[in-house]
Amino acid sequence: MPDVRNAVLLAMSAPPYWHCGRTVRRQSLWMAVALAPAALCAVWNWGLPALRVMALCVAACVAAEALCQKVMGRDISVDDGTAAVSGLLLAFMLPAAAPWWLVCLGAAASICLGKMAFGGLGANPVNTTLTGWAILFVSFPLLMDANAMQLDTTFVDPLLRLKYFGAAAAEEIPFEDLLLGRQINGLGAGQAGALFLGGSFLAARGFVRWHIALGFFLGVAGLATAFALADPATNASPFFHLATGSVLLGGFFLITDPANAPSRPLPMFLFGLVGGALVMLIRKYGVYADGAPFAILLANLLAPQLDLLRPKPFGGR
Amino acid sequence: MKELFTMLTDPRFHLLYGVTQRFSMGPEPRQARLNREDMTLAEGVRKKARVYPFMRLGTHPSPLKGDLFSPMFGVVSDINERSLFLEAAEPDEELRAMAAEVRKTDVMELARDCGAGAEGRKRLALGLKELGLNTRSLGQECETLIINGLNPDPGITWAEPMLMAHRSTLSAGLALLRQLSPARKIVLAVPREMRLQFHDLEIAHVPSQYPASVNELLVKAVTGRERPEGVGVVGLHNLWSLGRVAETGLPLVETVLTVGSLRHSGNYIVKDGCMVGELLDFAGIELREGDSLVRGGPLRGESLDKLSRSVTRGSMGVFVVEAGTVPPMQGHAPCINCGACVLICPARLSPSLLSRYAEFALHERARKEHVDACLECGLCGYVCIARRPVLQYIRLAKHKLAEADRRLAPPEPAGAVAGNEPESKEDSHA
Repeated sequence: MPDVRNAVLLAMSAPPYWHCGRTVRRQSLWMAVALAPAALCAVWNWGLPALRVMALCVAACVAAEALCQKVMGRDISVDDGTAAVSGLLLAFMLPAAAPWWLVCLGAAASICLGKMAFGGLGANPVNTTLTGWAILFVSFPLLMDANAMQLDTTFVDPLLRLKYFGAAAAEEIPFEDLLLGRQINGLGAGQAGALFLGGSFLAARGFVRWHIALGFFLGVAGLATAFALADPATNASPFFHLATGSVLLGGFFLITDPANAPSRPLPMFLFGLVGGALVMLIRKYGVYADGAPFAILLANLLAPQLDLLRPKPFGGR
Repeated sequence: MKELFTMLTDPRFHLLYGVTQRFSMGPEPRQARLNREDMTLAEGVRKKARVYPFMRLGTHPSPLKGDLFSPMFGVVSDINERSLFLEAAEPDEELRAMAAEVRKTDVMELARDCGAGAEGRKRLALGLKELGLNTRSLGQECETLIINGLNPDPGITWAEPMLMAHRSTLSAGLALLRQLSPARKIVLAVPREMRLQFHDLEIAHVPSQYPASVNELLVKAVTGRERPEGVGVVGLHNLWSLGRVAETGLPLVETVLTVGSLRHSGNYIVKDGCMVGELLDFAGIELREGDSLVRGGPLRGESLDKLSRSVTRGSMGVFVVEAGTVPPMQGHAPCINCGACVLICPARLSPSLLSRYAEFALHERARKEHVDACLECGLCGYVCIARRPVLQYIRLAKHKLAEADRRLAPPEPAGAVAGNEPESKEDSHA
């Protein structure tokens, strides 16, 4: 053809040529946006120490991932933001007074053992953030105990109060205090109201699967209601359970990590339900005050089994 | 119900675009590249031969595939295995006279002459083949024939105007289709929101959100069953071609297609073999470095490498996807198990798993995961946040499995193969 435009270099691609526009990086960005209110509340309630832990944890996670990828001879892909989000989530579960080396250790354990050891993003069998958290929690129980670390505060730890002083003492804590994050907890995990806002936004936009979150909260609330009805003197209300510990953080941001969750609607819902029920069982009968992180880790291990619940393919008999 | 919970927020997936404008005529091609694969060229068709409109250039050996006709006055500039190249040229007196001698066929009369019954249908199909029509899907053996009245892919907009503004053409095609098809019942499936009455045709209202236009899903929407026996689907496009031939009495040398980019979209009746470059020029679409050029639909079409590719009878659209409007595909990106494709898959498969099997050449495992149930709608790739070529992987697995089956199966008698090629073959040319 005599046409000069023939010189235009066309990009060859594979179908489909249109795309929904979502990428891993954009997904991480929206996660960060949804976590921002809780991060602000954390700084509001805990001051600069909270900011210190968050910044350090994010930086350590990103550095750990870059280092791992370098050692593994892979392309550095920290710009997809997943390591940063994992770091922020881990920071949310640490006390604001956590020492720097604890933060760095947790970040390194999360990324190296919880993600890169299995081959990188999406290949890990259990949640990246919770892997690091669990290692810290069983190795340094005292340093991870926010109640022991946060001495310079007027807040109380609602779950410990429930465990050792009974439901009546726990219910004395005003509900707005729980919502506004005026409770001793992980620095971000306690910002219940802000987490609820951010999490609902993510679920509504489809960035996290609402089936899982709904199942999780129903599991917690359902079992909490059953316990409360059976014995109101020793069991707190479902709202108390939803707004304390890492339930909101876990239900919206941790258990919904799609890499460790089933992918079809019904299995997702059941997965959430099992996770939520486990939280309450650990809280009621376990030694830990907050069962959410371990419940989610256990539910993660169940995900492949739930994935076997699947419909017949189209036209299949 | 499922539509409510999918993540398809893209308004383009609602296959009603409110376009009702009649089709414009496409460009008078300066050059044409016709598909001649498997064709026996007509006598005298060689390099430098002069051609006139509707001149028979080649004959297809299959009784179901249309013969090839020249769309214009011109000279044969080149012939190779797959293509026949024409260059437009001013006709002289002799050529004009020959062109004037092209006689119109009264197709309805032809249909009457052929008579009823299976034999008559066969004769009619042969007659239509000689007018350049592919009759494989139109005349397929079935009890119920469903006309797919939806825009096949998002972005393609010719179905609505075809149903509304070009109804006479469709009616002509329909009259012929009744003669040609052995089906006892013919149903036209249209979007739920569309008000449409045909006095002599049953209308079925189906969902209008892509992938509703995928044939298998359309059949399910109409009959309520998945892959039932005895139900066939024919595209609206084919019916229009049939009607066009019935109306003009001349061989088919054109196709209707949507030419679209981010800002522009238009429907044109384009001559067979028209170069994509000329078409884009005509539509006023500028190409830039790094844009992707797609022939067919934006979800299921094929990427073109240069502007001198052509559209042929059966092409449904030409689209330009501007660089930077979609995140680029990442050929080597690993699956991150996000599960978006599993949620969206209308065939209830796990594209994530299938694509990984294909990636590591575990094709037999893909078979166990029901890869053949895939409808190739392309949604898995549309929602993939890792930008993996999911559909391409699945097609690769299917291709490899078919290859393996062919190696194992005893050789089929020649001739039986010709008519059994997949639908998509019809428009994969040059």
